[in-house]
Amino acid sequence: MAATTSVVGVAEAPLLDKRWLAFAFGIYTVFYLWVRWYEGVYGWSAGLDAFAPEFEKYWMNFLYTEIVLEVTTASLLWGYLWRTRDRNLDALAPREELRRNMTHLIWLVAYAWAIYWGASYFTEQDGTWHQTIVRDTDFTPSHIIEFYLSYPIYIITGYAAMIYAHTRLPYFDYRKKGLSLPYLITVVGPFMILPNVGLNEWGHTFWFMEELFVAPLHYGFVFFGWFALSILGLLLQVFASFANLMGRELCGESVYRGGDAATWPE
Amino acid sequence: MSTTTSAVRSHAEAVQVSRMVDYLGLFILFFVLTGSYHIHGMLTMGDWDFWADWKDRRLWVTVYPIVMITFPAAVQAVIWERLRLPWGATVCILGILFGEWVNRYFNFWMWTYFPINFVFPTAAVHMAIFLDVVLMLSGSYLFTAVIGGLGWGLLLYPGNWPVVGPLHVPVEYNGMLMSIADIQGYHYVRTGTPEYIRMVEKGTLRTFGKDVAPVSAFFSGFMSILIYFMWHFVGRWFGNVRFVKRT
Repeated sequence: MAATTSVVGVAEAPLLDKRWLAFAFGIYTVFYLWVRWYEGVYGWSAGLDAFAPEFEKYWMNFLYTEIVLEVTTASLLWGYLWRTRDRNLDALAPREELRRNMTHLIWLVAYAWAIYWGASYFTEQDGTWHQTIVRDTDFTPSHIIEFYLSYPIYIITGYAAMIYAHTRLPYFDYRKKGLSLPYLITVVGPFMILPNVGLNEWGHTFWFMEELFVAPLHYGFVFFGWFALSILGLLLQVFASFANLMGRELCGESVYRGGDAATWPE
Repeated sequence: MSTTTSAVRSHAEAVQVSRMVDYLGLFILFFVLTGSYHIHGMLTMGDWDFWADWKDRRLWVTVYPIVMITFPAAVQAVIWERLRLPWGATVCILGILFGEWVNRYFNFWMWTYFPINFVFPTAAVHMAIFLDVVLMLSGSYLFTAVIGGLGWGLLLYPGNWPVVGPLHVPVEYNGMLMSIADIQGYHYVRTGTPEYIRMVEKGTLRTFGKDVAPVSAFFSGFMSILIYFMWHFVGRWFGNVRFVKRT
């Protein structure tokens, strides 16, 4: 059949691109499993003495490499998201807005997964390492992974999610509404855990403290960890953004009232 | 609304999208809470949670409920009032237990070689279910703070006793009276946590020597009530949905 006689349909992009969802989940998982393997092999064989040449080779070079890669990745990713921002959100079709809302959820899934690895997995792992191995440097194998790899990764992901939302979703349109306060707190609070490493290392350098994990020196991490609770307010906003788009179809005219569903009742 | 201006093409598609939002939203909530609650927990009560020989009758029973009722109170304040979901405390505890068990197995055991029966985390699901059920049945934050908070503190020790009890059996070791957990601590050396750091049953005035656990649990329940009140409002603040024009 000649092409000129048929109507060639263009497949519509899915509302939720499951390939990106799988990629977001998979890339952190595979990468961190490799990191955990590296720790298992080179933690004990090359990570016990910070003055040994093998420590420089396997751990300090790891640190230098990851810092360069993190700065590069953050610059490219944040720069790309900002440069390609939607400058005319008023013209956005509802269907495309819904699709972008689903993509935004993928960004938040990535952030949540990165937060888990950083704040839960590698932070408590640091506890068992320091209660087992005497530290002789600020850059122990567990710190090189926890503080200088897993924390920057969730920071990069979190800011990327925030830029995506505020530049592509009408609900979060920064030009009309400013910045979402719960979004700011959810991202900036856990980000502050990284500068707080300065306090932690300052304290551990002045006094050789046995690794009592509940020592007050560590309370800065606790305080800034609380800020991630703003995910509660952020999810209310995310759900409201969806309700604005399909609340009427989902609930029916008699139930759906419209307005900003995120707002707390008086 | 016409199909050209609607984001979805049918009620069925709206339901399907809504379900996807539910699943992804739950994933996001669970793992962000796991990360933040775990870092809070491990740095406020972690040492008592890490090691069997720290799980004593006094400080573990006192500290754990007081510092751990924080996030459940905050999450309940938002997801019960705004979404009518009666599992705010349970999702917090399931999150931290997930984080802890993964860590105890893959790191405490598989990286630094402490046996699991020395580093198992504190069981707290029963406390969380109690707190959630009290809120669901009463529909009152005040009642939940007073009754739920008190129960939260009282339930820790009995709920953990089946696991901890056998490790508290007294034994004579080199002429000294010790517990099985004490011997575990001596054999599995923690270089960075010497014996004099261990905070168990501290204090010299032991007037009520045989009633240590109940008294500690009662005090813990009292403090949990107060902390629940405070963290309810912390949760409401973190549940704000404002936008800011200038930072």
